[in-house]
Amino acid sequence: MSEQSAVLLHQVKKAFPLHGGRALEVLDLEHLALSIGSCTVLRGRSGSGKTTLLNLIAGVTAPSAGTIRVGGTDVFALSEARRDRFRAENVGYVFQTFNLVAALSAIENVILAMMFADVVPQREQRRRAGDLLTRLGLSERVAHKPAQLSRGEQQRVAIARALANSPQLVLADEPCASLDARTANEVLAIFLTVCRQEKKTLLLVSHDEAAVAGADRVIDMTELNRTEADRWSA
Amino acid sequence: MTIFTVAVKYLRGRLVASTVTAVSIALGVSLVIASVVLGRGIRDGFIAGATDYNLVIGAKGSPTQLVLGVIFRMDLATPNIEYTTYRDLQQDPRVETAVPIGVGDAFRGFRYVATNNVYFAAFPWRHKTFALAAGRFFSDDPPSKPAYEAVLGAEAARSTGLQIGDRFYEGEEMAEYPLTVAGILRPTHSADDRAIFLSLPSYWGMNEVARGMAVKPLTAVLVRPKRMSDLPSLNRELNVAADTQAVLPSAVLLTIFNMMAVAENVLKMILAIVGLIVLLYVFVAMYSATMERRREIATMRALGARRATVFGIILAESAGLATVGGVAGLLAGHAIAYLAGLVLGQSGLVTNPLRFNLFELAVLVSVILLGTFAGLLPAALAYRTEVAENLAPLS
Repeated sequence: MSEQSAVLLHQVKKAFPLHGGRALEVLDLEHLALSIGSCTVLRGRSGSGKTTLLNLIAGVTAPSAGTIRVGGTDVFALSEARRDRFRAENVGYVFQTFNLVAALSAIENVILAMMFADVVPQREQRRRAGDLLTRLGLSERVAHKPAQLSRGEQQRVAIARALANSPQLVLADEPCASLDARTANEVLAIFLTVCRQEKKTLLLVSHDEAAVAGADRVIDMTELNRTEADRWSA
Repeated sequence: MTIFTVAVKYLRGRLVASTVTAVSIALGVSLVIASVVLGRGIRDGFIAGATDYNLVIGAKGSPTQLVLGVIFRMDLATPNIEYTTYRDLQQDPRVETAVPIGVGDAFRGFRYVATNNVYFAAFPWRHKTFALAAGRFFSDDPPSKPAYEAVLGAEAARSTGLQIGDRFYEGEEMAEYPLTVAGILRPTHSADDRAIFLSLPSYWGMNEVARGMAVKPLTAVLVRPKRMSDLPSLNRELNVAADTQAVLPSAVLLTIFNMMAVAENVLKMILAIVGLIVLLYVFVAMYSATMERRREIATMRALGARRATVFGIILAESAGLATVGGVAGLLAGHAIAYLAGLVLGQSGLVTNPLRFNLFELAVLVSVILLGTFAGLLPAALAYRTEVAENLAPLS
């Protein structure tokens, strides 16, 4: 099963410490498997643990219990430095608010992601970044700084950055939430198309109907997260 | 793209703040460098000016005033001695060279210095060399027939604009005795650049009192003994004499340097405080820059940047600022020293601010290390940045 899954989570719990030695459990998940090349949409109300789940899979937040495997690798069995390298090479991350580096141009933001991995040789990085931006319709905007780009263009740069190292898994946390409806549809369409073409496994947090319609699978956090289910049933 | 190019992009991204920080570093460094270069230049200037001759003979009084007045022309001339003192020394078998000096009034602030052509002669032991940029040295004229010719130091010629053949005098009472420019010297980087040299007969001829004196006056005699072992006896004899004193310029230099050391110590304390303030400023600049971009740092970490990588970027930024500020400060320090040298030159001291040395390289390396040190805590903050906490969308 795990060999055929791009992502496999087993008995994963996440609790955040509170004052007085208590802990707030935000995630309690029995099992989650994402098949290779699939597109999964994750839905749920605010605070239901969607972002926490993405951060756990990306390896930026450690689980309180359980195992998380990405491409068969137990992410938290790796040392922090190796986990960082693993993330750079295997996981692309798209954020709701783009999170581009303001001091860098569009193409430099894409190259930045390549700098942290050992996937694309240095002499080819600029060409690959340019190709990605062209595919996303930004060939005329490569030298522009984020402040000179529209919000839709910024998010397309962020998508190019997530795909820079050709990762097997792409995580996207409400990538269109801060865009207007028309731009959101355009960006989402490009994003889904590129991920399909490149056969990426995509886990997308979104409430957008277009995203749901284009997904292979839709997961509701209320069903996935036992903490969340308990809260609603209480 | 490397850590360094990202650091440079970040610095360029906040150009105004980076420039202000680099300028503050440059100001601090330039103060240190300028004071070091000037201090060194002043010492070198004193040493170069005072070490060719081992004894200065003049009227009894302040030894420091004698050396400052005769060699550096920075003080009032001491009372006169008789020309016979020079004659006696010239004939003394222990003396290799004796040069008579008469320090007179000034033309537009450039002091008249009466001497003979031996003053300009090249000796194997002389550090200073005189060469003509134009014209010739003044005539060896007899006392009965002064030639009233002048040889101008380089700065005196440049500043007054006098050319070969020009006649000049200062004050109506001197109109009867105008001097004619016979020669102009090349720069010697010493007080001589600001002197107007003339022969002793011309000097005496221009002075009403001297004209009537049977035994002509001098301000001082510069003496170089044949053997250093003769120096103590010459020194003792001339000091025992009723009208003269013999001064070792090196001893006077020591007094001057001791006085300078007090001022230098105060200056060092001030510079240390300036350095501390600049260090704190770099720290605050880097700290606020790091705090402002915690979100970007968290993003980089989420993209796979290692803690060491973001640590390195912040450290490279502060090292870059310190390097740019340090190099600019080094150059600015020499520029300040050059300008200050021009002002000091009016007092008879000329420094050489274009000379760099190892100490300055040590200052530059120290500044880069301290600047990097100032970035350590901000870099540690970047290192410890919590990724998930700082990735949360801004409300």
